[in-house]
Amino acid sequence: MRLFFSGFRKLRRRPATFVTFGLLVGLLVLIVIAVGATANNTTNGDANGRAAARDLLTFPGAYEILLSFIIGLGGLFAMIYGAAIAGSEWSWGTLKSAVTRGESRVRYMLLTFASIGLMIAIGIVLAFAVAVVAGVIGANLAGFSTSGLSDTSTLGGLPEHLLKGWIAVLEEASLGFAIATLARSQLAGIGAGIAFYFGESFASIFLPNVVKYMPFSVANAAVSTGSANVGGGGATVASLPADQALLLVVVWLIGSLLVASLFTDRAEITG
Amino acid sequence: MSAMSGIGAASATGGTDGLALATRGLLKSYGSRRALNGLDLSVPSGVVYGFLGPNGAGKTTTMRVLTGLIHADGGTVEMLGRPFKRGDRRRLFEVGALVEAPTFYPYLSARANLRELAASGAPVSSKRVEELLDLVGLCDRANDKVQGYSMGMKQRLGIAAALLSDPKLLMLDEPANGLDPAGIVAMRDTLRALAAQGKTVFVSSHLLAEIQVMADVVGIIAAGKLVREGPLKELLSTQGVIKVRVRPNLVDAAIATLVPLAPAERLTETDRDEGWISVRLTTDRAEDVNQTLAGAGIYASGLESGTDLEMLFLELTGGQGPTGGEGAFVGLGALNSGAPAGKGTAE
Repeated sequence: MRLFFSGFRKLRRRPATFVTFGLLVGLLVLIVIAVGATANNTTNGDANGRAAARDLLTFPGAYEILLSFIIGLGGLFAMIYGAAIAGSEWSWGTLKSAVTRGESRVRYMLLTFASIGLMIAIGIVLAFAVAVVAGVIGANLAGFSTSGLSDTSTLGGLPEHLLKGWIAVLEEASLGFAIATLARSQLAGIGAGIAFYFGESFASIFLPNVVKYMPFSVANAAVSTGSANVGGGGATVASLPADQALLLVVVWLIGSLLVASLFTDRAEITG
Repeated sequence: MSAMSGIGAASATGGTDGLALATRGLLKSYGSRRALNGLDLSVPSGVVYGFLGPNGAGKTTTMRVLTGLIHADGGTVEMLGRPFKRGDRRRLFEVGALVEAPTFYPYLSARANLRELAASGAPVSSKRVEELLDLVGLCDRANDKVQGYSMGMKQRLGIAAALLSDPKLLMLDEPANGLDPAGIVAMRDTLRALAAQGKTVFVSSHLLAEIQVMADVVGIIAAGKLVREGPLKELLSTQGVIKVRVRPNLVDAAIATLVPLAPAERLTETDRDEGWISVRLTTDRAEDVNQTLAGAGIYASGLESGTDLEMLFLELTGGQGPTGGEGAFVGLGALNSGAPAGKGTAE
């Protein structure tokens, strides 16, 4: 457990943690407040815009939309975050220091990822709380009612949605973690991860039936309630049923960690 | 001393009794380049062992194999009396190592880095962290982020990290890198004190003067093979240097006069302008050198004698430069003329 808590303490003080969380929350707050502030400045042709603003800022429906936003954008950020953490272990040589002390390579990597998982869980909950506050402010700015805030049936379903969302984001983080481990570099890992994210989106134009099984698409599908979904890079793709997608998310998650662990175990640590 | 005198026998027979560290027939290749070519090391317990070799000779590769960072293609390693194989990571709980440059989380302080490193491997008390910060002289800066540290401070912290689990065997790769003179002296004293406590210190270095004043036993490798190993005093006893200073216009005459005492290849003019000549003879021949010169009417204005690890090193390694992979120096003449470079050129 000391290695797990050590990993968490390291993440807690790491600038990448604050930058990633700050960007996610900053964008979220900016968009929600901006939508609320401009919802009434509509001209004749902007009825659809006002309807969209109403969907975003009217509770209890806003809970679902805000959570989807966090999971969607947060997935990309989590992938970058996972890549940054795993890559730095190689770039900074800190994995080397642990190995020369007799630490198990696999245990070290898996517990590092476990601490990332805990940090992501905290991040999602905090981001969601901030998003709800921003949503309330946005709704007030737009003059929409917030009476649905305390809708018990929606609030009762939130823990399950948050849990599914966490697993989906964790899968995306594991992908970045595995890519950076294979690349043995933060920058290469982040770059390759982003390329993968947008590559999946691009591929959905030509191979929609393949892309729906890919990691970013299944992560989105796992937390979705609709039949179509937003894939990697923001493209709309056909998606799998949520339960099936969640199963595939877990498969991608375990697969990514397996690849990262095996590679680390077999790697020659030089430099 | 008994452990040291047993080193030759252990090497010859392949036995590893009384050794803190032993390798037998260690092999390692990177692609087509062979980095270790049957390396046999015998490191006695309770000594400072100087591990020497030219750039690219295989020192760092050896350190990596001994710390489990890479795996040998062949051969065996025995550490603290027991075999060290792939998967025997717990053997490293009794070993401290600093391999290549010290590595830390740049955004954490020295204290936090040591505490987090202590969470891996063998358990370490927080008191130990404070002791080590004090030992390496970083107490005042222990809460500063490592990213603001100088190279020497990072090196000090690296040595502290290697000592975290109070190891029985300490392996340091170029520990003097970046240290100021006071830091080098302090490090030397610390390593000597550890050896005096019965711990074994294995130091890889190319700073021959540093090893000469610090090590009890040395091993010299070239092209991935051990070329000489033994107690430093024994090795140097056959490796004396006598330096004699004569009037600069008499340098050639002095060298010719000394030929009966030492073959020409053992006579070198080290500074013609100042009139210094080096004679590679055991130090007890200094009087003969002086007498021979005086007999020829050449009077020495200076005479120094001593032992020189550098001479031994160059003789054993053939004065060779890198064997590839770490860059090479070429002779200035070769650069100017375009002629092939001599010794020191990468193969």
